[in-house]
Amino acid sequence: MTNPGAIDAVSLSIMWDRLIGITDEIISALVRSSFSTIVRESGDLSVVVLDAEGNSVAQGSYSVPSFTGTAAPTLRHMLAKFPPESLAPGDVVATNDAWMGTGHLFDINVMRPVFREGRIAGYTMSITHLPDIGGLGFGAAASEIFHEGLRLPVCKLMRRGRLDEPMFDVIRSNVRVPEQVFGDLMANITCNEVGARQLLEFMDEYGLDDLAPLSAAIRGQSERAIRERIAALPDGTYEGAIDIEGIDDPLRLACRAEIAGREISLDFSGTSPPVDRGINVPFCYTRAMACYAVKCLTVPEMPNNEGAVAPIRVSAPEDSILNAQPPHPTGGRHVTGHMVVPLVFRTLAEAAPGQVQADCGMLNIVTFQGARPDGHPMSTIYFSTGGFGALRGFDGADTIPGPSNMRAVPVEMWESLTGITILHKRLLPDTSGHGEARGGLGQEIEFRNDTGSPLTAFCVAPRSEFPARGLFGGGDGSRRTILIEGRPVHPKGAHTVAPGQRFTMRDAGGGGFGDPADRPRAKVLADLGEGLITPGAAREVYGLDPESATLAAGAR
Amino acid sequence: MTYRLGVDIGGTFTDFALFDEGGGRIAVYKRLTTPADPSVAVVEGTAALLARENVPMAEVDAIAHGTTLVTNSIIERRGATTGMLVTEGFRDLLDMGFEQRYDLFDLRLRWPDPLVPRRRRREVRERIASDGAVVEPLDLGQVRESVRDLVDSAAIEALAICFLHAYANPAHEEAAGALVRREFPGLHVSRSADVFANMREYERWTTATMNAYTQPMFDRYVERLEHGLAALGFTGRLLLMTSSGASIVPETARRFPVRALESGPAAGALMSACHGRALGLPDLLSFDMGGTTAKGALIRGFAPLKQYDLEVGRVHEYKRGSGLPAKLPVIDMIEIGSGGGSLARVDERGLIRVGPRSAGADPGPACYGRGGTGATLTDANVVLGYLDPDFFLGGEMRLDAHAARAAIERDVAAPTGLDPIRAAWGVHEIASEDVARAFRIHASERGFDYRNSSMVAFGGSGPVHALAIARKLRIPRVVFPIGAGVMSALGLLASPLGFEVSRSRRVFVAGLDAGEFERNLAPLVEEASGFLHRAGVADPAIVCRLDMRYQGQGYEIEVTVPGGGSGAGRAEAFSRLGELFRAKYAEIFAETFLDEPLEIVSWKVEAAGAEAALGYHGIRGGARGGAKRARRVWFGDAFVECEVLDRYALEAGAAVEGPAVIEECESTCVLGPGDRAAVDERLNLVAELADGEGE
Repeated sequence: MTNPGAIDAVSLSIMWDRLIGITDEIISALVRSSFSTIVRESGDLSVVVLDAEGNSVAQGSYSVPSFTGTAAPTLRHMLAKFPPESLAPGDVVATNDAWMGTGHLFDINVMRPVFREGRIAGYTMSITHLPDIGGLGFGAAASEIFHEGLRLPVCKLMRRGRLDEPMFDVIRSNVRVPEQVFGDLMANITCNEVGARQLLEFMDEYGLDDLAPLSAAIRGQSERAIRERIAALPDGTYEGAIDIEGIDDPLRLACRAEIAGREISLDFSGTSPPVDRGINVPFCYTRAMACYAVKCLTVPEMPNNEGAVAPIRVSAPEDSILNAQPPHPTGGRHVTGHMVVPLVFRTLAEAAPGQVQADCGMLNIVTFQGARPDGHPMSTIYFSTGGFGALRGFDGADTIPGPSNMRAVPVEMWESLTGITILHKRLLPDTSGHGEARGGLGQEIEFRNDTGSPLTAFCVAPRSEFPARGLFGGGDGSRRTILIEGRPVHPKGAHTVAPGQRFTMRDAGGGGFGDPADRPRAKVLADLGEGLITPGAAREVYGLDPESATLAAGAR
Repeated sequence: MTYRLGVDIGGTFTDFALFDEGGGRIAVYKRLTTPADPSVAVVEGTAALLARENVPMAEVDAIAHGTTLVTNSIIERRGATTGMLVTEGFRDLLDMGFEQRYDLFDLRLRWPDPLVPRRRRREVRERIASDGAVVEPLDLGQVRESVRDLVDSAAIEALAICFLHAYANPAHEEAAGALVRREFPGLHVSRSADVFANMREYERWTTATMNAYTQPMFDRYVERLEHGLAALGFTGRLLLMTSSGASIVPETARRFPVRALESGPAAGALMSACHGRALGLPDLLSFDMGGTTAKGALIRGFAPLKQYDLEVGRVHEYKRGSGLPAKLPVIDMIEIGSGGGSLARVDERGLIRVGPRSAGADPGPACYGRGGTGATLTDANVVLGYLDPDFFLGGEMRLDAHAARAAIERDVAAPTGLDPIRAAWGVHEIASEDVARAFRIHASERGFDYRNSSMVAFGGSGPVHALAIARKLRIPRVVFPIGAGVMSALGLLASPLGFEVSRSRRVFVAGLDAGEFERNLAPLVEEASGFLHRAGVADPAIVCRLDMRYQGQGYEIEVTVPGGGSGAGRAEAFSRLGELFRAKYAEIFAETFLDEPLEIVSWKVEAAGAEAALGYHGIRGGARGGAKRARRVWFGDAFVECEVLDRYALEAGAAVEGPAVIEECESTCVLGPGDRAAVDERLNLVAELADGEGE
């Protein structure tokens, strides 16, 4: 290759994978010792190894999109306050600052310097979504960040191996579930200790005095790989914009992408200003989602590190909702921020038609508050999933979320935990965007409040006004609706569901890709046979002759 | 004299191991599998082996059998046309799955199609609540109409009956099942709560559909096998191995074919544990590397770790999450796409990757000369001198060393700029690293400290890589059992009769008294014992386990009830449930200061017969190699003139110093410089790694 005298392909493969293996082992330690279910069940976490210069070198294989490329900037903020020469072995530094970390106060970033023979050899960092951080609780209800809970500036949780007790007292007395929050903070501290030990052993095993050459090789190879893929895309300036639902009025997100040789820049000028509810996005989150989208289009299989984001420049004007400034609230920053991904795909559709995805139906995160049948107070979340967007020649999967990825609660589990009955959970035929490749279907889930007391359902349902749009002639998915006793209610709001009442969610379908007329007949017939499209759609959208449409539908 | 016979059907070969209980000798035999009717190879092979060994059929008192038939018929979609009845409103759950992606960056993810297509699922009015109460009675008329329609319109052979909360109250599934059996006697019926009664409908229902889908085929197979063996004069007991490592009688296996998933790999892990017992090594990594994948299992305290989740037929490069989930007691195995046939390539980073794509057995590696041109792990091992082109499969197959080298040059050396030897070494090393990495993560997730353990290595490619992997993991000792090529067949001989049943029922410990505790466990003890009684075990050993958690936590911990075999023992254990839970919690997670109330989520009871003793010394039947001559073998940075030994010529007590290559028919052990090995009295080769050697 092009790095003579440096690390060859064999050693680099092995050491690189070993470093990723270390981050995976740190995640396993984190998951095993954390207490909250959000870490264990949802996997809302990330672990990163960084070199002494602060470049991220390896990231745990399972890391949610919102943590793509955030660790290095977070570390820079930490080192600005505590310069490397001021750090001592056993120090642990943390922050949950929305602008320095990952966009909202719920995510705690915990960093530990790794000392080797008196020098800092690197850093490890873990990031987890805490079960609570005080304030108004999870959601978008706040009108300034001060309502959203405890904001920890860059601070030390441990000094030379000893817990900073007053700091923990402050945290404990500001959150609703102090044991869980404490438990998760301790899990973060412990896993970074495990990480430091693993990293040192690794360096001993391979006789590395310094991570720098390995880090440079890893980042160099990654950067080369992504630059090659970017270079394969046609140069040019591409523009795109989408309208999304805001709190009251629609918002516009705009993107201008410039591909020049081996680089890409994404600018979000033309995007709406911030709003006075917690759906504003700090820039760190915008950048993470933009880098995630570019990675999906270029090097989806490549491990994350600083090199993989190096050729991507992201910018957004300071007066926009994608670069909101304090004290704007950001608790639900993902509601807006997730839309960056379909925006980038749409913007780059002409440049990368074989890689981009039509819009996803996305997730509706519904919080139910009330009491269980035994009278115990209850607050619980249901993730309700729309269809996945189609790609060229590739149907979107039914009821699969994107870009976020929360797992649905099984019906039996849900009913036994809540006393809320699920009356049915069905695919909705014809809800996907049609196309040469069709989007994924949405679904209908109907609940009945059998708890014996009133419930409040908090919804933040996307795709209720603006559907998941298709690409290249593919159709749009269906819109998301929410009904109580069969009557539509506002898809973003708090609704009372009286005992015995039915609460119904119709989830959005994913967008289609390409002209439906080009869809292979066999696929149309198969969908019809399985009842996923209706005979009407088969005839009218796909031009199937009425007789074979009826025959195929009858076969089911 | 009495004998026991182990028979394992693999994709290519059917392996036999005949154990002489009096003399402690084992004879092995191998023949090609007969895919059209696998019982043919079993019956013919049994006859051939017994004739060779001069053993009359009347002296064989047990045949233990393992097979990949069930797994393969699911992967290859060769099962029965199956229908399904589900609770009204929930027909589509099989299509929806977990509603989660298993890879965040790859947008072209694929999932396997459900075994029962949507058009063959029918909804039935009925509803049972999570506490087991009947909310809406079962509409039997609708059951009858739906099944009639499925039989008439789709000609179903098998039916899965899957209702919500059936684990809490199976009455509706039972009533529907009874009607179908009465009125449609030709149909094979599987009920979700009968197959494995756990909460979480998607996994339970999918498991039930697997059972239904494979039942007609497996039923016919077992019947043919019983007849064929009876015709040979076999009057002993036929046992079938399950994925949990226990064996069941044919009657049980025909009712629950899904329990026989992955029984071959489970038998290999069981055999590793058996070697551990003989050698006094309680903690082991069982490592099996074949043609397309490598499989691993952890053994703690002489027993393989178990779990209750299994994935069948991953459709996306062996990725976790891309298969069909089954909920069953299984030996906890890792499987990664690294095997002798794994293709080596250079990825977009400019780095060497091995697998998961595989050249398989046909066309196979470039060196097979059967039309495969892609460079594989086996090609790299030929280039490095680990494998002798003239002694592959004991010399039955000649390998083309030039083709191997050319493939490595083209696919690996040229794109990386490495010389061919270094490139081949890279392929070898990276495959070893991939396995080591999988073991590291697997062990770490289970709190298993592998550094004080040993490894047992087998399979065609396992012994070639074992010491390299052990070195990476800093495992000091590797055992190469004799008969590595028939480990699963041997493992079958070590499998005890056993059956495990389970029931999900959520109960707060604080609201429970000893009587209620017993009322939950006693019926399960009776049910599990029943399976053993019917198999002729009068007094099975009973183990009770509980899945417990802090209230509201999503993560359960398995707590074994000490003395669970007797009512008195269970009552005693009940009084210290909290203590037992906290001790286990601290063992798995960090110490906790939590004082949340505890709950029991699942109740599990396993009944088992006596462990089958397998005190053998020596093995015969493997073909002999010819005279060996030294050859040049690559070790890290240079070719070393290396001694080549015939495994079959090594007597007990022999010692070998590395570097050395020890060849047997099915595999080759590679000892590095400084490694030492000794042959024990059972002819296992036990290797100790060179002192203090790290990477």
